[in-house]
Formats: sequence, C-alpha cells, structure tokens
Amino acid sequence: MAGQGLERREVLEILSLAAAASGFSGFHRWRFICQHNDQAAVTAVRPASYTPQFFMATEYATLECLTGIIIPSDGSPGAREAGVAEFIDFMVAHEPAVQYEFRTGLTWLDAHARTLHGKPFRELAPEQQSDVLKPLAYHAQNRPAEQDGRSFFHLVRRYTVMGFYTSRIGLEELNYPGLKFYSASPECPHHDDPEHLHLKSNA
Amino acid sequence: MPKTVYDVIVIGTGAGGGMAIHTLCDAGLKVCAINAGRRLNPSKDFRNHRMPYDMKFRGFNDPKKRAQSYGYMDNEYTDGIWEHEITYTTAPGTEWMWPRCYAVGGKTNFWGRSSARFAEIDFRAASRDGYDVDWPVTYEEIAPYYSRVEKMIGVASTVQNRPSNPDGEYLPPMKFRCIDRILESGAKKAGVPYLPDRIAQLTQAHAGHPACHYCGNCTDGCDTGSFFSTPWFLLPSAEHSGNLEIRTNAIAKNILVDENGRANGVAYIDRQTKQEVEAYGRAVVVAASCVESARILLNSKSRQWPTGIANSSGQVGRNLCDHMYGGAAEGYLPQLAGQPGFPDNVSGSTIAWMPRWQNLANPHEEKFIRGYSVYPGGGCSEFPWYFDSIEGFGSDFKRQIKRRYPTPVSFTMQAPSLRRDTNYVDIDPEAKDAYGIPVARIHFRWDENTLLMWEHAKQACADVLKAAGGELTGASEAPEIPGYSLHETGTCRMGNDPKKFVTNRFGQTHDVPNLYVADASLFLNCTDKTTTISILAFSLRASEHLLDNLRAG
Repeated sequence: MAGQGLERREVLEILSLAAAASGFSGFHRWRFICQHNDQAAVTAVRPASYTPQFFMATEYATLECLTGIIIPSDGSPGAREAGVAEFIDFMVAHEPAVQYEFRTGLTWLDAHARTLHGKPFRELAPEQQSDVLKPLAYHAQNRPAEQDGRSFFHLVRRYTVMGFYTSRIGLEELNYPGLKFYSASPECPHHDDPEHLHLKSNA
Repeated sequence: MPKTVYDVIVIGTGAGGGMAIHTLCDAGLKVCAINAGRRLNPSKDFRNHRMPYDMKFRGFNDPKKRAQSYGYMDNEYTDGIWEHEITYTTAPGTEWMWPRCYAVGGKTNFWGRSSARFAEIDFRAASRDGYDVDWPVTYEEIAPYYSRVEKMIGVASTVQNRPSNPDGEYLPPMKFRCIDRILESGAKKAGVPYLPDRIAQLTQAHAGHPACHYCGNCTDGCDTGSFFSTPWFLLPSAEHSGNLEIRTNAIAKNILVDENGRANGVAYIDRQTKQEVEAYGRAVVVAASCVESARILLNSKSRQWPTGIANSSGQVGRNLCDHMYGGAAEGYLPQLAGQPGFPDNVSGSTIAWMPRWQNLANPHEEKFIRGYSVYPGGGCSEFPWYFDSIEGFGSDFKRQIKRRYPTPVSFTMQAPSLRRDTNYVDIDPEAKDAYGIPVARIHFRWDENTLLMWEHAKQACADVLKAAGGELTGASEAPEIPGYSLHETGTCRMGNDPKKFVTNRFGQTHDVPNLYVADASLFLNCTDKTTTISILAFSLRASEHLLDNLRAG
C-alpha cells in the first residue's frame, strides 16, 4: 500500500489531534464564575434559522461568532457563509467525548471576557474580542493562567478548520483541484524552471 | 445426491487467489472459490468520487463508528468494507496492526498500486551478504511471468536501468508534478534517485479497461476499474467461462484430507448460517494472505498431519517478515507558496519513488544490510492538514493556509524486516474467532537492521528536501507499528529442501502434492518492493504448474 491515501488519511490524523486536545484537564477553576448566566443575554440572541442540536442558543451564538473570527468573511466567504457553526454543533452532538470541553470552554470564554471587558464575548467590540483571543492563539503572547482557555481556543480552531475546508465554499477558497476528470496525467507546466525558483507570485 | 467435486478449491480472491482462479478457469477447470466476505458493488460501495461535503460527517466519520474503526483505510468513505471482528491475537511484547478486508478481491480493491519487480539482487541477497538463504528461483526464470502480469494489469513507468529494479513492459509513465520536479532536482544534488514509480494505474486504455481519469482517492476503490483489482481484471473472465463458483461470506476453517493425507477439499463456516460446510476438489490452492494462509494450514490437523497440513518441516507460520513504514521526513517547498492549486492528488501520491540506492555495488557499504525505498508525496490535498503549524486566526490565518496549500511534501520509507526465528505466527491456544475457529497469534518485533534503515532514511530524506530548497519540519517520532503496511511475507517459504521449506519452488507443498500456496507467504523475505505484482507472478507460475500436474493426472 505504498504511499497511498496520504490525502484522506490526513483527515483522520487531524481527528486524533482533536481527541488529544479534548483530553485537557478541565475547567473546574472556572466552573462557578459564570453562574449568573443571565436571562437577558439569552433573550438578546436573535433566533437563527438553524436549531442547534447540542448547544444552547447563547452558546451557539458565541460559537458562530468565534468561527467567524477564526476564518472571517474578508472579501472571500468565511466560516459564517460556510455554516461552520452548524457543522460543529452537528459533530459535537454526535460526540459526547468533546461535549464537556465545548460547553465549559464557552462558559470560560464569557467569564474571561467579562473579567477583562465587562461583557460576554460575543457582545465585545471586534478589537476587544481580538484582545481576548490573541494571548490564547499566539505562543509568544501566552499568559500563564490561561491554559484551559488556550486548549479550548485550539479545539474550536481545529473544528472550525475541519468544518470550513470540508465545505464547498472552503474547498473553492483553496481552489481544490481534485475529484475532477483529467484526460491526461496532469503535468508540471514550468518546463524551463525545474527548481521553480522563478515563479510568478499569485498571492 | 452425489457430492460435487470441483477440479480446484481456491481459498481467497485477492491477488494470489484471483490469479489462480483466472488461470485455472481459463484453462477449462471447474473452480470453487472460498471467500471470507461479500461481493462489493463499485457503484454503491466505492465512494471515491464523493466530496467531503457529500458525506454526512464530512469524511470524519460518525464518532461512534470511529471508535471501532481500525486503520486509516477504514473510514466514512469505506464504511462497511473493513472487518471489525477479532481475527488474531498478539503475543506479549508484540504490536501488530492488521486491518482486514474480506470482500471479494480483498486488498486489491484498495491497494497502493506500486508494482516493481523483484530482482536478482533480492533473490541472491543471502549469497551477497551472508544472511539467511537465497530464493530457490532466479530472476531470469521469473521475468517472463512478470512480463505476462504487466501485460494483463497495465503498469505505467519508464526504463530506469537500475540494478535493484529490473525494467518491465510499461505503459507511458504518470507525469511529474511541480513537487516532483523540485524534489527531483534536490535528489540529484543529494545523490539519490528520484524516478517515476512503477504504478498499476492505466495511463491509457488497456486490455479492455478505460484509462484513469485522475480523480484521486484511489484508496477508496476505483469505480471505473482503471487500476488493477481482481474483481475488475481477473474474476470477470473466469465467471464468464462458466467454470467459477464463488462462495461468499465463507470463512475457510481447514483443509480436508483423504486417507492418504492428500487434500480433497476445504471446510468453511458460512457466516450467515454459522454452519460448517464442505467443498470438495481434486486440488486446493491456499491464497488467503500470508498470516491467514498459515492459520488455515496450522488449523488443518488430522491423523496424517498432526501439526497441521504440509507442516512436516515445522516451518508453517515461521519466518514472518513485514515492511516497516514511516514518515521519514516532512516539510514544505517555499517555491510553491501562493501558487494556484494543482491536481497533485491524482494517484494517492505514488507517482514518484526513490528506489533502493543503498548497498547496491557493495552489500556492506552501509551499517545495515539490504536496502529500502522511499515514496515521496504531497502538494494540494483534499484537506489543509498542515494548518496546525500555522499560528493565529483571522484573515492572516486564512491567507497562510491558502499560501501553503501547494507546498507540503512528505517521504514514506518502506524497509524490509530481516527474517528471524522470533518473528512468527502460531495458533492461539485459547482465543477463537466469532465462528469458533482458533485464531492466529502474532509474534513480531522490528530488528536492529530495519531500525538502522529508519535512521538512515530520516537523514537521507531530510538531505533531499533541503537540497531541493525545502523547509524540513520534522519526521514521525517512530515508524508505524508492524502489520501496518499489509505486506507480510514468509509463513510458507519456498525452497528445495523439504526439511526446511513448506513448498517447492513452484508453490506446491512438499508434503501434499495437490496442495499449493499462492500468496506472499511463499516469499523468503519482503525485499524493499511492494508485494502485489510478485504475488501475481508467483501465483501465475504456481497455477500453471498445478494445471500441468492435474492434466498429467
């Protein structure tokens, strides 16, 4: 089975990463901070056309907000257009092993946002949301007390990438060239440049 | 009602069994094939043309099923094809990962398609380096069988004139992609060969089969039959001849013998009724795959064969060899960053290979004996799995993922284990499968020689990548565990001495003249090459030998 299946095989390796990430220590330190999960916030959420299977309405709104920040709509479609939050809700609903991490992670994020800026995450201004996420996302900006938040951020990021780049929109964004009909074995077009040191940049 | 006696009972319909069935039926013999699983329906069971968003779980599979899935080939696209029942155990200290496909055609439905001939340097390896024994055949003797097989199945490659890789009769090669040309230039600088692989993928219409349309994802099964598998290439003519009966969902249990100890049939369990059924024949061909074939012979105990049929040498199940696989290097080619998507994934990435270059002129040039090969791959894939190496979020993250899309490359090493007394298969004294048949127990560990190849391959592949201007990001922490390659060999080795070998040099067992073995269990070791084309060549030879014997009475 020489070299075969490098493609779809990688998909499964991503999953094992996701499984490893879900093995983090948990959110016990944060569990009680956000008990005043206010009714006001719940009613403020505009009912979406999609009815989440696992997440509560406020959780789902925060999740959708997060996915849109991770892969934004910035001239080309992003996670919102690709329905990534729906994908995550569907996957998590079928996967009890990650439900706790998602639920407590979203709770942590709102509690953390309140501590820093006085509002739940999805109600913050875009710059404030960025301020909350950067220390979780960039190694150089990591802060010692935020290990749980970092794990959660990377879990959401992983599922967002999984959802976006397996959607039609995401594969079009990459210009995915596979699963098409080619009448001949596709060949490198750069005949005069074997080392490919003189290609025109396209991005 | 008089019982039906077929000319030949063939166990297995994969490469070995499929070739035996094809050869015998074409010659007019009545064949009954015993196959452990069901028939596949390409239009229903092969989901290779589906996009991730056509799948309910986008290819990530239902988490409930994911927990039972075994090996990366067992996934949402191949749901319902790989076995989930326990079929073997491992001895303490043995790790062995061994996905089983029992469907008609076996692993040929999903194989990697690399199809290099074994060489004289492989058959005479023991004479060259003093380890183990030579094969009982010469390359000259086997070459015509390889040629016939290549004509039947269609192999695309080029003439390469390398001592370890005899050239065959090839269709035009697959074309090099950008990643190949860049790595080829690096390999040249590093003094390592980088050439078109020998790949059983039809670059033009061949023998009644349509040319490949390069959709990729061949590992999920080919619904146009544009690469070799027995259900597309060998079984149809046999069925058309009216000489073949395939019994599906039939788990072979043991070989039946007459009062003289000669084979006269096979007992199997019907998986649906769980009843034991007997099929009778004038001869039996065992081609259930290396470990399964040994299990069947060892489970065939009788008054005449108290330690298992054809096992007077005590060698059935011994000498298990396997290919060590490992990600020897991975990284990316910055030259391609930001380039438009290119259809790199048109063959599951076996377009190019780095065929064995070690110990060719001098068998002791390296710290290890023998040699290994490498399969490079990469480029635009179905999923940007490298995303985890890019930090951050937002527009920059999205842009980086797209920029890197054409750039990833990786190198997979394929290295043979050495034959050792401590690597073998026996019958577990306690464990039985779901049908009450004692299961095979595997005893296997990698040897020092193979681990030295792994270290060598990591260095060599890193050198090639760097010389190509690539960035090395790492290598797998450890090679894959044994069994992973599905290239196991050696449990019924062939040789001239009946005291030391299970079969003669044709695959006919020394003890039982009407019992043949026709799969990779015949092989003395696994070499640096893949096994399928050699199974086909040796099975063709064994089948014609059997045919001559039956005709002679």
